[in-house]
Amino acid sequence: MNQVKEENYNVIRRSKPRIDGVEKVSGRALYAADLYMEGMLYAGVLRSPYSSARVTRINTDKAKAIEGVEAVVTFADLRKTKSWAGYMYLTDRIRYAGDCVAMVAAKSKSLVEDALEAIEVEYEELPGVYTIDDALEEGAPLVHEEYEKNIFKDSLFHIRKGDIEKGFEQADVILEREYRTQYIEHSYIEPEAVLAYMDPNSGLMTVQASAQNPFFTRRYVSDILGIPLNKVRMIQAILGGTFGGKEEGIGLVTARAAYLSYQTKRPVKFVFSREDSFLESSKRHPFRLRYKIGATKEGKIVAFEGEQVDNGGAYNNQTQFMNWRANVHSSGPYEIENIKTDTYGVFTNNIHSGAMRGYSSPSLIFGQEQLIEELAEELGMDEVELRRINCLKDGSVTATGIPVEYVILQDVMDDTVERTDYIRKHAEYKQQPDTRFRKGIGLAICYRGCGLGAESPDASGCMMIVNEDGSVSIASGLAENGQGLKTAYAQIAAEALGVHYEDIQFPQLDSFAIADSGMTVASRGTVMGAQSVRKAGEKLKKVMIKNALELRSFSLEGTDLTYEQLTEEDIDLKDAVFFLKAHPEITVPFTSVTGACIWTGKQMAAYEWFMPEDLPQDHETGQGKAFPTFAYGCVIAEVEVDMRTGYVDLKKVTASHDVGRAINPALIKGQIYGGIVMGQGYGIMEDVAPKNGKVKNRNFDSYILPTSMDAPEMDVQIFESGDPAGTYGAKSIGEPATEAVAAAIANAVYNATGRRIRENPCDLETVLLGKKLR
Amino acid sequence: MFKYDYYRAETPDEVCEVLARYQGKARIVAGGTDIMVQIREKDKRWKELECLLDLSFLEDELRYIREEGDQIHIGALTTHTDLERSEVIKRWLPFLGKAASTVGSPQIRNRGTIGGSICNASPAADPLTPLIALDAWTVIRGRDGERVVTLKDFYTGQGKVGLKEDEFVKEFTVRKLPEGTVTGFAKLGRRKALAISRLNVSAALRLDEEGRIDFARIAPGCIFSTPDRVETAENILIGRKPSEELWREAGKAVSEEMIRRTGIRWSTEYKQPAVEAIVEDALTECCGSQFA
Repeated sequence: MNQVKEENYNVIRRSKPRIDGVEKVSGRALYAADLYMEGMLYAGVLRSPYSSARVTRINTDKAKAIEGVEAVVTFADLRKTKSWAGYMYLTDRIRYAGDCVAMVAAKSKSLVEDALEAIEVEYEELPGVYTIDDALEEGAPLVHEEYEKNIFKDSLFHIRKGDIEKGFEQADVILEREYRTQYIEHSYIEPEAVLAYMDPNSGLMTVQASAQNPFFTRRYVSDILGIPLNKVRMIQAILGGTFGGKEEGIGLVTARAAYLSYQTKRPVKFVFSREDSFLESSKRHPFRLRYKIGATKEGKIVAFEGEQVDNGGAYNNQTQFMNWRANVHSSGPYEIENIKTDTYGVFTNNIHSGAMRGYSSPSLIFGQEQLIEELAEELGMDEVELRRINCLKDGSVTATGIPVEYVILQDVMDDTVERTDYIRKHAEYKQQPDTRFRKGIGLAICYRGCGLGAESPDASGCMMIVNEDGSVSIASGLAENGQGLKTAYAQIAAEALGVHYEDIQFPQLDSFAIADSGMTVASRGTVMGAQSVRKAGEKLKKVMIKNALELRSFSLEGTDLTYEQLTEEDIDLKDAVFFLKAHPEITVPFTSVTGACIWTGKQMAAYEWFMPEDLPQDHETGQGKAFPTFAYGCVIAEVEVDMRTGYVDLKKVTASHDVGRAINPALIKGQIYGGIVMGQGYGIMEDVAPKNGKVKNRNFDSYILPTSMDAPEMDVQIFESGDPAGTYGAKSIGEPATEAVAAAIANAVYNATGRRIRENPCDLETVLLGKKLR
Repeated sequence: MFKYDYYRAETPDEVCEVLARYQGKARIVAGGTDIMVQIREKDKRWKELECLLDLSFLEDELRYIREEGDQIHIGALTTHTDLERSEVIKRWLPFLGKAASTVGSPQIRNRGTIGGSICNASPAADPLTPLIALDAWTVIRGRDGERVVTLKDFYTGQGKVGLKEDEFVKEFTVRKLPEGTVTGFAKLGRRKALAISRLNVSAALRLDEEGRIDFARIAPGCIFSTPDRVETAENILIGRKPSEELWREAGKAVSEEMIRRTGIRWSTEYKQPAVEAIVEDALTECCGSQFA
């Protein structure tokens, strides 16, 4: 670990074993699909095969007549619901091939299929529009009547900084380029799954769902049933991956199951097939990035102009929030005086785009980090040097006009460059003979605003309870998504309270245990979400110290100390032992105090809410503080390209990330290893490639992901920066881990081949022919 | 959801009887790595399916690799893993073992059978190309006994094989390659495992005492509607010494044959140069990269 300064911690900065690790690796953990209840029904949905259509007739008589089919529900039955996604549980206006028109519940999975096949639907096909370019054409069919030119107005953001015209006047070199990225699937191992049932004891609609954001999912259930939120009990099931995918989609699935359970008075289990998951879960937004960049011949970037348009698909699924982030990051990790960028989404009759690990950054960086190299080449300059000149440093002013501190970007880059022998290799590969297999090395740097920033309030709550035996129970409004949140939170709780990590228990989120703390997204869990955990721990530590003092728990016999002299300030609690700061040999075990507290009625719990600083921004110019801090990173990819087939073999990836403070180094490495392979898929082989809106790749036989055989050698470097903004100084890592990989690969492919791949991914055909073969 | 009977055959005769009874609406399942996926996808080929006839319990009769004189007999239930590990295959037909070892994943290779792979009739099947290069025969069993047809003629059209209603494939028979023959198999997929071949090629060569090629076989997969050797390419090799230049000529002959047979398609722009490279790879593997 590379760190700025040594500080003493007892629990964090250690690779503690995952709190939920044994259950998962031993197979004991039950996921939602594993749950079973007596008399349980199974559910399914009927999807439109058309991309743009209207249902003219639907007849469910035959389906209802099938023995064992307990409920058949169509869009007509759900007129009063509003949904919390851009799209509905069921609909008669089809905007993409995947919209659902009906759902059923039946005694077996095969009866579900029979019932769905027995529903008769007639459609009137309507004109559709599928690409960004077509959607923006004059007179293009409108996906939503209320959005002119198919532009999603609410997702339009701008940066206006300095004077763009003056900026370009100062430039000796001006470059204009266009880059494009593709739809990709999250590809979590576990498809969406839920079990919904009316709990006979409480009368509550109880749902156990593979929900990334349990409280968000609860809203859908309340909506579809028309009941108050406190009549819904949401218990988060263990998640088999999400990466941003189990947000809106799982809300709809859970609500549908709850509705069917409500109608049939039976438990209903709804588990998506992989095909259902491909057809309904959101995808990463494809972007069309048009950039214009100007620099002086000395290599100072003086102007940056950009238009970033993303394909939102048929429905708005967070495009406005994502584009806010894309807007903030629209000119890359560089200090540029004059910037003018516009970012907006368009509607098309495709599967909807939504949150996916990176939230626009993987697309943007794919463009920006190639652009900077194209500029370097145009300037006849070394691409690392050009980055050094322009990258953010302490005191640099960002695109939103705010100075940044604790910026270790250049150190991270220089270290990675040196570690990989990048300079020598890059020069050597450029001159390599014209052989069939060519080596390439490519670099990309990145920065990422930590947490939600000004996008939405980054507040959270934590409940912490000390039990009489000294064990500790915590509940948080943010949820374990597989990323290790529970482990990190337990470490932070133990550190703040002063107990052992092993003393903490932190079960799955239950909506009756804690208040809604927003979504577990934006890599905010540790950096911001855990602030309330630290706060609760520190508060409870004070309470427990006060208890220890009031109960006169220390034995002062044989010392010249008296209780009259002692104050709370004199006492500390670490590793589950109270001690006097001035006399560390005078101690009392935590458990002695907790045991005494319970019989004397002392407080042994704390609930704390964390509210971050206000971040006001100007909508027209995008100026203002966007994030509490940024995380920096550098990724170097090494490839071997088969010049005869276009096959890109990713040999090695070196990834260095500024994590602020490494709460759990092993989990950080796990995040980065996974992020690298996910970035490899994005950069080399993954492409949903819908044809006229229809998703053809609906399972992992045709949707190609990297296998373990494809994973490269990986060298991961963790940097700590000393920046105090996040919880114990921690920064985001979940998304930084993957965001720059595809850009580094594209730059490596260029180094190897001299071919600039401006349309992701670097698949066989694109590398060989320089274009997509579709 | 497709609904059909499941029938487990106890004897080869019973297989024919059941097939006949269902009059073309029964389909054999062995490893199930193709058909179970197709049924799940509701492939319209199986819309009329009335029976899945399971051969898995006929291993004694149908799972074998036998060396007899100058022939090798491969039972239809032989798995890809069996081929990959067989000493007989390694000794006499190494490219068949290699091709089988590149199929799917270990799980698929453990279940998938050579009979299933051939009868599924995908032009991308990896073990198909060495069998075509070997001029394999298909031994077909019906109610009236056995008949033999060349593997090439067994394919009656894209994705189709010639079996009568009561027939099933019992084995593939190949003649051992002439002593001293070297073989190669090359494949291009989109990733290193679990990859359906975008292109694949099997090649076999023998050199005479002067180092000239006197025996040559080249069988590409994925590019023809029914599998075949490319004799024009093989003929280019005969009487000449191995060289990169010669491999290039052979590769060109294969891509020309592809265009002659299937015309220019949307994918030709890519396949033409790439298949040439894969042919060269297979030939290079035969001789190693060192040329005398």
